[in-house]
Amino acid sequence: MKNLIAVFISASLALAACHDSRKLTPAPETIFDDHGLHVITSFHNDRTGTISVLYGNDEALAHASRERDTHTPGDASPGEVFKLVTWDLKQNPLWFGSNINGAVKSVETVTVSAGESGPVVDYSTEGSDSKSAKNAVLSNAERISFIFAQRASVFP
Amino acid sequence: MNALKHHKYRNAVAVLAGILFTSFVVLQVNSPTVENPPVTSEFHGPEEVTRILKRSCYDCHSNESNLRWYDKVAPFSYKVAADVEEARKRFNFSEWDSIPKADQEGKLWYIVNMIDAGRMPLPEYTATHPSAKVTPEELTILKNYVTSISKKHYAAGDTAAIMEKPKVAHVPTSINGIRYFEDYKTWKVISSTGRPDNGTSRIIYGNDIAVKALEANKILPWPDGAVIVKVVWNSQAPDADGNVKPGNFNNIQIMVRDAKKFADTEGWGFARFSGLDLKPYGKTASFATSCINCHQLAKGTGFVFDIPTRPVGE
Repeated sequence: MKNLIAVFISASLALAACHDSRKLTPAPETIFDDHGLHVITSFHNDRTGTISVLYGNDEALAHASRERDTHTPGDASPGEVFKLVTWDLKQNPLWFGSNINGAVKSVETVTVSAGESGPVVDYSTEGSDSKSAKNAVLSNAERISFIFAQRASVFP
Repeated sequence: MNALKHHKYRNAVAVLAGILFTSFVVLQVNSPTVENPPVTSEFHGPEEVTRILKRSCYDCHSNESNLRWYDKVAPFSYKVAADVEEARKRFNFSEWDSIPKADQEGKLWYIVNMIDAGRMPLPEYTATHPSAKVTPEELTILKNYVTSISKKHYAAGDTAAIMEKPKVAHVPTSINGIRYFEDYKTWKVISSTGRPDNGTSRIIYGNDIAVKALEANKILPWPDGAVIVKVVWNSQAPDADGNVKPGNFNNIQIMVRDAKKFADTEGWGFARFSGLDLKPYGKTASFATSCINCHQLAKGTGFVFDIPTRPVGE
């Protein structure tokens, strides 16, 4: 009988320990305040260990929803605002097999305004992913092209 | 005086022992027996995987229950018989092929996650059947197994041309009364997930009540009125840079918090609408039982899997 009690006590201790490692608290600081922008699309990348959501205003969403094969900054319309939010990607502590976003890594913003000789595309980034100044111009152009190339996800 | 007290005490013990013994005999005689129906379509997997499952799961989740003598002693025999009956209902390795292939894969992930969480095999079962415990090394074998199946299955990604939105003539409604709605598109994204286990990509939205509950750390329990919406797409294969983008729309899932109305499922109402025609899932309201069974794994976060979290103390 004593043995049985000991077994039960150790079993419940083991169970309690197990629960502790899954003890989680909300991390609302990772929620991005979109200020009314729409979700355009999302993607994740196991190589970089990141997950991203692309947001945009009405014009940006309309742009990303259009059928097209190639899309260049040249055919952007003034008024478009894109924000690409990138988080760390981590294993969901509650489900082996699912990966979920962790902390925000960077927020990239692309805005299109009207210039004298056509649309002016502006790029800025905040967060830990800022590129070194030397490569900034080239990589900014790449990032703008990348963001423009995203097609809107189909929602019901 | 003392002798009289002693005598009375002895009588009481004798009567109590008599009552207990009679109860035991009645319980034992009427004790339920666990039958082993024929094995019709057994689970087949790699030998090392099958060996673990046979040792740790088959006593309850198969038609090859190997009960020990002490499993047949009342009152424990009642609990054992009830557990086996429930276990076989959830899934049965002896009738494995009677469920669709996709469901089999989902069940295997569920099994691995239940073991990972320490919920299976049942701790009260391993306390009396220590050999049924799954060791960390064995869990790794199982994890690698399910990962390899899904990798094979979803390597190509969703290659079909992406379908655009058709017109849905009426508002689809789940059998439990939860109606599809579009307001979630103006809600905040609370998390996003990539699921190598089932080849999907997801965005999860929360209404104001849900977001405020997360901000105030008031999710145990979540407040009534909190609603969480999950949009699911099939993942495409990774592009040259490794980006996995959403392909075709798969389904949308809604969790509605109403502690009273959905008391049977821990206060959450579940709904799922599949395909661009938003076909409601579930023929009877009991479909939600399988939802909450799995969501029990997320008990620590109020039964919601996909919220932003960090470990306590970090």
